[in-house]
Amino acid sequence: MSEKNPLPFAKTQSRSMLLWVIAVLIGLPLVLPSATLATEILIFAMAALACNLLLGYTGLLSFGQGIFFGAGSYCAALLMIHLQWGLFSALLGAAIAGALLAFLVGALAIRRTGIYFVMLTLAFSQMAYFLTYTLSGWTGGDNGLLDVPRPEIRIGDTLLMSLSDARYFYGFVAVLFLLIFIGARRVIASPFGSTLMAIRENETRAAAIGYDTRHFKILVFMLSGAVTGVAGALYAMLLHFVPLSNIDLMMSENILIMTIVGGTGSLFGSLLGAGSIVLLGDFLSDLWPRWLMLLGIILIVVVVFMRGGLWGGFTSAFERIKGSRKSRLPIQEEQP
Amino acid sequence: MLELYMFQILNGLGLGMIYFLIAVGLTIIFGLLNFVNFAHGAFFLLGAYLCYTAVSLTGNFWLSLLIAPLLVAALAWVIERVLIQRIYNLPHMFQILVTLGIALIIQEASVMIWGPVGKSVAVPPLLRGVVEIGDFVYPYYRLFLIAFSALVGFALWLLLERTRFGALVRAGSESTETVSLLGTNIFRLFSMTFALGAGLAGIAGVLFAPLRGAQPFVGPEILGVAFVVVVIGGMGSFSGALVGGLLVGVVQSLMTTIWPQGASLMIYGAMAVVILLRPYGLFGRA
Repeated sequence: MSEKNPLPFAKTQSRSMLLWVIAVLIGLPLVLPSATLATEILIFAMAALACNLLLGYTGLLSFGQGIFFGAGSYCAALLMIHLQWGLFSALLGAAIAGALLAFLVGALAIRRTGIYFVMLTLAFSQMAYFLTYTLSGWTGGDNGLLDVPRPEIRIGDTLLMSLSDARYFYGFVAVLFLLIFIGARRVIASPFGSTLMAIRENETRAAAIGYDTRHFKILVFMLSGAVTGVAGALYAMLLHFVPLSNIDLMMSENILIMTIVGGTGSLFGSLLGAGSIVLLGDFLSDLWPRWLMLLGIILIVVVVFMRGGLWGGFTSAFERIKGSRKSRLPIQEEQP
Repeated sequence: MLELYMFQILNGLGLGMIYFLIAVGLTIIFGLLNFVNFAHGAFFLLGAYLCYTAVSLTGNFWLSLLIAPLLVAALAWVIERVLIQRIYNLPHMFQILVTLGIALIIQEASVMIWGPVGKSVAVPPLLRGVVEIGDFVYPYYRLFLIAFSALVGFALWLLLERTRFGALVRAGSESTETVSLLGTNIFRLFSMTFALGAGLAGIAGVLFAPLRGAQPFVGPEILGVAFVVVVIGGMGSFSGALVGGLLVGVVQSLMTTIWPQGASLMIYGAMAVVILLRPYGLFGRA
């Protein structure tokens, strides 16, 4: 039992899941007071989804997601400010920056497994923060990078759509999120995804079958870095500004907490987790500046009492209503 | 110029001894309990703030050097009993996440109690002033720092190598089950070790307070440095924590003269180099 990873197993997610996501994407701006808040939720859901690929599907606990988020922010912003790059090329640049950094961090951190891997990702996260702080000529240091544009969608010289309206920008981010969500589902359903889950369940055995597990781990790290980088770039465009906090350790921890609270091993859970934490933050940060304390408490409660996260909680409640007691937590199905 | 480097190396030794105290606490907890305590930086933070409060209440630094680490250790003991003991049977990942939650709570509570702006702690009167060796001037407090940390380190070594408690901790690090089967209350040992490790972080926090004051958001930074030290020195090794701590301290201090902005950056660079050349650290076993 102790050898087993009690993370919920990825269920074969049906088509109805996709409909749920689309419903949420359409519903969010209608329910929430501002499109900006809805956009923020989707951006962090994207980052949490990328974190989930590592944590939920490969079993890698990374404290380095903030590196890729911040790198995406700074890279896209600098490309747009200094080289006047357009929307798609800036996002592509951010994805490449995220993937490259993930390759560097991954290649070094994956030399070690288990506890050392976790410590190394945290140390590299601190390194990235200090590097950004030191290069204040480029990044603005403590003041952040100001005057980040939000380019319009154009193909060639034809202007298709301006994104300066918050609702249009939300629409753009929602489409991007849907594409990434579908892509992530494809990845998980592919043989590559199965290999990742094999590594999560038992890395030694996966290696013994003949998989170069290090190779797979670096690849999924790069994939996660690229998606997180895109999320970072979108966040810079949303705020018109890159605060130094985009790359600090707290960003890594926030993304991680959203992933865990939502439920590891479920992509829809990441959307739930990001949504609830962003909303909680938005609601509480004015009332109670020290609301992060609550985040710590939530994290502990989820880990101790509700390891499936919100998604796991919902599914088990749903199962119980349906009366089938056999699958309260997916782990219990696995009993031989 | 040479003098300046000498000065910085001495500074680095002092800083390195503080890093050693932090890292060795982390290492002892890891050795026995087999998980990384992400609240370690928060215990350091708490040590520094409790030192500030004790000094401003009593005016006595020495008293705070005694009380603050004890309070930190007591708090850690309670946390271990109430919370961490419930999750020993879970994978390490969950223990890390719970300690991360504890770290956030302690950090935010510290800001609530002591405010978002750092507090400075005065150097105790006895240790003000400088010592002169030829043209060379050096503050007493920093010399005291080196000597006192060395003393704590030595006492810890005695505790681990020469007492029954130490023998149990070492035996438990090899095989918890065997020690438990031989009739030792392993959970009491866990609580005491967790408290001991946190207390060491608390001592480091107190010693650090007169240098840089108590800063509310220093926890993650200290945690990062402690990780660098154990990655370089090898986890679970007393000598590794000592050499790693001194190395990191001296590198950071020397870089302060050469490239001030990059001083913090360089210790992570040093870590990357060690990982590339010796993936298991300087003293680590494969």
